[in-house]
Amino acid sequence: MKKTILIISPLLVICAFAISTLFSQNKHQGLNETVDKLNRNVVVSGKKDDPLTEKISCKTCHVTEYPTRKDPGLRSCPRDKMLSGFPSSKTGPDVVVINEMSENYSGVRFSHGLHSQMSEMSLGCVDCHHYNISTEEILKCSDCHNKNRSREEVSVPDLKSAFHRQCMMCHKQWSHDNGCNSQCHVRKGQENNLVQKDFTGKIHPKQKEPEKMIWETNYEKGKIVTFFHDEHIQLFKINCKSCHGNDKCVKCHDKPLQPTDYSKPIHRKKSFEEHHMPCLNCHKSENCQKCHRDQEMTPFNHGKSTGWILKSYHSQLACEKCHGGQMPVKKIDRNCSSCHKNFLPGKFEHKKTGFVLSETHKDMECKSCHANNDFAKNPDCKECHDDKSFPSQLPGKRK
Amino acid sequence: MKNQNRRDFLKTAAGIGASIGIAGSVKPAKASEKTLSDDRFGILVDTDVCVGCRHCEWACRVAHNIPTPDLDTYSDNSVFKEYRRTDASSLTVVNEFENEKNSAMPVHVKTQCMHCEHPACVSACIVGAFSKLEDGSVVWDGDKCIGCRYCMVACPFQIPTYDYDRSIDPQIRKCDLCFEKRKTEKLPACVNICPNEALLFGKRDDIVRIAKSRIKRKYDVYIDHIYGEKEIGGTSWMYIAGKDFEKLKLPKLNYSPAPGISESIQHGIFAYFVPPVTLYALLGTIMWITRKKKGDDSEIKDETNQDKKGGAL
Repeated sequence: MKKTILIISPLLVICAFAISTLFSQNKHQGLNETVDKLNRNVVVSGKKDDPLTEKISCKTCHVTEYPTRKDPGLRSCPRDKMLSGFPSSKTGPDVVVINEMSENYSGVRFSHGLHSQMSEMSLGCVDCHHYNISTEEILKCSDCHNKNRSREEVSVPDLKSAFHRQCMMCHKQWSHDNGCNSQCHVRKGQENNLVQKDFTGKIHPKQKEPEKMIWETNYEKGKIVTFFHDEHIQLFKINCKSCHGNDKCVKCHDKPLQPTDYSKPIHRKKSFEEHHMPCLNCHKSENCQKCHRDQEMTPFNHGKSTGWILKSYHSQLACEKCHGGQMPVKKIDRNCSSCHKNFLPGKFEHKKTGFVLSETHKDMECKSCHANNDFAKNPDCKECHDDKSFPSQLPGKRK
Repeated sequence: MKNQNRRDFLKTAAGIGASIGIAGSVKPAKASEKTLSDDRFGILVDTDVCVGCRHCEWACRVAHNIPTPDLDTYSDNSVFKEYRRTDASSLTVVNEFENEKNSAMPVHVKTQCMHCEHPACVSACIVGAFSKLEDGSVVWDGDKCIGCRYCMVACPFQIPTYDYDRSIDPQIRKCDLCFEKRKTEKLPACVNICPNEALLFGKRDDIVRIAKSRIKRKYDVYIDHIYGEKEIGGTSWMYIAGKDFEKLKLPKLNYSPAPGISESIQHGIFAYFVPPVTLYALLGTIMWITRKKKGDDSEIKDETNQDKKGGAL
């Protein structure tokens, strides 16, 4: 009996500790759960775990305690004054001086003109003037962004960070440092140190455009892809932003970046989608071989591609004169009268073609020389003259 | 009758021991729960917005009276070549990591004391020099510290540092969230100076909500995790990033509080003088039993002697 007591008593003490340890662990788990619940309660007042569809508190918009239909008591909202359609870069200001927060620093002279001239190639005005898309006034950043860093509602960035993020997130990529080295502003009293150009009336220099670009790809059925950049701009009149609408400034402004040598083949750096999307915008129904060839393509030639060689007058015409302004171009009938509505027998003045018919040929029917009224082919003299042929003998004079 | 008494005594002794043990271990847990306010702060480090200007490092040194070079020298990028850790003269450091998605936009991660919800340093400190305040900050009292550096071992983020250079009165140093400064200026120095508000200071609940909505909105930028929301029971500083947190040298940790088990055992054992009481109780019992045993033996001896005597007679 005594021995059992001797063994049991220390065991009991150990048991007591074990139980107490377990209890306290449970206590911690319980605390975690309450913290979790607290978090969930904050997030999940709308749809579960979806902060975007989260219910908005009535007080966000209504000032009055009990809003009615007659008297909703709405707070004035800066978004009421939002902008629909931006003025062009020419009408916008050249320089905007940002000095709303210039306690320690001098104001920043922001070259708004230069930036807006290029903005259409990088998401447009809304890239900076976000949410500003539905009325006639451009809102100031400070209308929504609070000047105070210490504030109740912190979900919207404060004014200082709103300014800095707009500039630094892009300029940091050009300068390859933290962006603070860009000469934006200097401490007050050191204004003489600021080396800043005058941007008034400045125009962004014209971008250098490559004539053609050649890619060497892994595609087995045609490794070489040739892209004629100049044709797309000059001949097909494609708008820059239809391909370059979402470019980053750093694409050209990267300081140590050497200009690309377009005479050498380019190897794929981007993903499959990134490479093909700009082309697929227009070339929707083409097969791969349209671009992927075994060797470099030759520039566009109307005669080779369509079988209709452009001579004299036609070679000087803009594509849209015949094909319309829309891309892809519409195919047109090769009959002269499909474009030249006034080219009718009897009314047609032959000298317009650069060839004046002789008196004897003047009043003849067209099809006497142009078989089946096919004006693309050379005229045939054999119908009437056994000893004459085109073009050694001519039925008139070249003008 | 004697036996009955002894059993009763042992029962009550064990009962008292157990009840003290339980009471002792429950109390400290309760206490730490009580001290946390619902409005306690949280800080979000948005690594996508941080540009690595290191102005926070400068502001931190100024706020803590640590000598520092001029602010302009902080734009030197060469410091990022090596991974840096907090030390006695830099309570916060910014490190740079590669960004696979865009090499021109490297990821910058600021490190400092995380101000855990259940801080291991507070638990490890044997003299109570560390304390977790109601607003969430974990602060250190130099007058109590004996320099054992247990806190440095206990911290899962290896943050507290020691003034090894100072031979007289060396200090344990770590971010105190500008505890003194915030009495007048509301914001810690680093949050105040950040040009991009990459450090977002607010109520912890709000901060978690904002972090979630940022992840939701820029789902192609961020990975769907808030580091520090639940790690080791939650921390005051939290991070969102577009890269795996382990690659940003933020250690992968359990969701259960670091001091959970160790603290409950420790507090359970050491609270209310349980170890000395039990030790004395145990020794006393043994003494008491052994004394009784001796008494019994002498009685038996006497009896046998008497028997012998009687037999002889």
